[in-house]
Amino acid sequence: MIFIVLFCFISFPEQRNINELKGTISMIEHERNDIEIMLDNVGMVYDSADGKEVTALTSVTMDIHKGEFISLLGPSGCGKTTLLRIIADLIHPTSGNVLIGGVSPKDARLKRRYGMVFQSATLYDWRTVIKNIELPLEITHCPKKERHERAMKMLDLVGLSDFADHYPRQLSGGMQQRVGIARALALQPEILLMDEPFSALDEFTREKLHVDLLKIWRKTNKTIIFVTHNIQESVFLSDRICVLSPHPGRLSAIIDVDLPRPRTMDIKDTPEFTALVSKVRNSFEGV
Amino acid sequence: MLHSKKVRSGVTNIGCPLLFGAALVASWQTGLLHKILKTDEYILPYPMRIIDIMKENSDKIMLNVNASVKVALIGLLLGSVLGYLIAIIATVFPKYGSGGLTIVSAFNAIPIVALAPVFINWTKDVSDIAEERSMAAKILVVTVTSMAAMSVNAYRGLTELPPFSEDLMKTYAAGRLTEFFKLRFPNSVPYIFTALRVSVPGSVIGALVSEYFAEYIIGVGRQIRENILIAQYATAWAYIVTACIIGIVMYAILMLAESIILKACLHRT
Repeated sequence: MIFIVLFCFISFPEQRNINELKGTISMIEHERNDIEIMLDNVGMVYDSADGKEVTALTSVTMDIHKGEFISLLGPSGCGKTTLLRIIADLIHPTSGNVLIGGVSPKDARLKRRYGMVFQSATLYDWRTVIKNIELPLEITHCPKKERHERAMKMLDLVGLSDFADHYPRQLSGGMQQRVGIARALALQPEILLMDEPFSALDEFTREKLHVDLLKIWRKTNKTIIFVTHNIQESVFLSDRICVLSPHPGRLSAIIDVDLPRPRTMDIKDTPEFTALVSKVRNSFEGV
Repeated sequence: MLHSKKVRSGVTNIGCPLLFGAALVASWQTGLLHKILKTDEYILPYPMRIIDIMKENSDKIMLNVNASVKVALIGLLLGSVLGYLIAIIATVFPKYGSGGLTIVSAFNAIPIVALAPVFINWTKDVSDIAEERSMAAKILVVTVTSMAAMSVNAYRGLTELPPFSEDLMKTYAAGRLTEFFKLRFPNSVPYIFTALRVSVPGSVIGALVSEYFAEYIIGVGRQIRENILIAQYATAWAYIVTACIIGIVMYAILMLAESIILKACLHRT
């Protein structure tokens, strides 16, 4: 009897304690370093239709800090969307580790720690604008009154308060994408993942949305990961640009963008901006 | 400008068929149609004669209409619900889903003429009353014919979703049930109406044809057959016109329901 009790005391709790301790240490490290997302040697290999293995992404290692605006920049096939989808737990990496605020991407997803904006606005055409923004709040069983208030606040943030009762198809592409951003922010996530959100928009609308997005970012203080293939877009928006190169998809450079904030459209005419654009362009490998 | 365009298209949409119908009835009543079709007024009675017979026999006709409509509606309801359930099962098990639906569609390709005797055999022990036995067999025929259209269309509505919408649900950590009620079901509503556009006329045809084979003699379809057998062509025509009216009225009700539900509630066209 004594032996069994001793055994329990000595072996099992110890095992558990060590695991807990490891978890706590990694959490403390995260908080101390202000790291929101940690990518360690992340790789992704697909099986193609003809049975061959295709390397979409190989050994990506980097840290993303809280409140940072990061761009994943690269041409088609460089794995930038793959990387974003790995962070979002929409696909699982075949190698390496991802930690989001000290937990796995799956736990982060289940805790609804990120909002996502897709290439198309993905609004449900049977719901009004306000009902589209309320959707995530409905799913999380937020009370009706609070749901409406929060959705209206988000709509106000993206400057579309007057369009609450419109249906998506009554809005322009740019307005639809702004509703998409409002919806992604509705659950007040810590991280905003954006997958080429403005690629389908015209140049004028896109430039306006760039300025709007920076304003929203400043007000909400989110960590933003922004996937794009547009060099100017990434330089204008980001704190840091992760340049990804194709065949196989890999991280070929991380470039700091030390342009002053708040940024306005005028910054695009400065020599610093132009210099950064060419620096980014020259950092691509094998394109 | 836009208003006048709308009015003009309304005139073409409604006016032309009306004009054609009126011309047809006029040539029929004046005997011109008989000359064109090389037939006589015994085989193809004048419209006024048909209307007179319908008036004289209105009680009997209504009795048969009730029987046929009951079969069509119950069969349509059962078939549509079963079809939708099959579509849900196919969505939940995508591996077997499309294969299962192919089987349902293949089953639907079997002619009613072949199905009806089989179902009459199946339902022979359902009740001691012939009317009830026949009713069950007829409903079964309509159920099977309505099921395929609904299952195939509803499956499309449940699986052909707007791009990234499944990813969106995943980012909200939504369960399958939530995903069904918030995304898949509303997405499938227009497809339900597409199915009904096929299965509503189909259910009327199914009801009328299955009556031919039923043990108990009732229904508009059966009366067409019985009257032709005894060479009462005028009465047979009265039932043919009644069958057309049933089909048109049911289709009109469907169109009305579709426009109200899709436009007002879901704001779709």
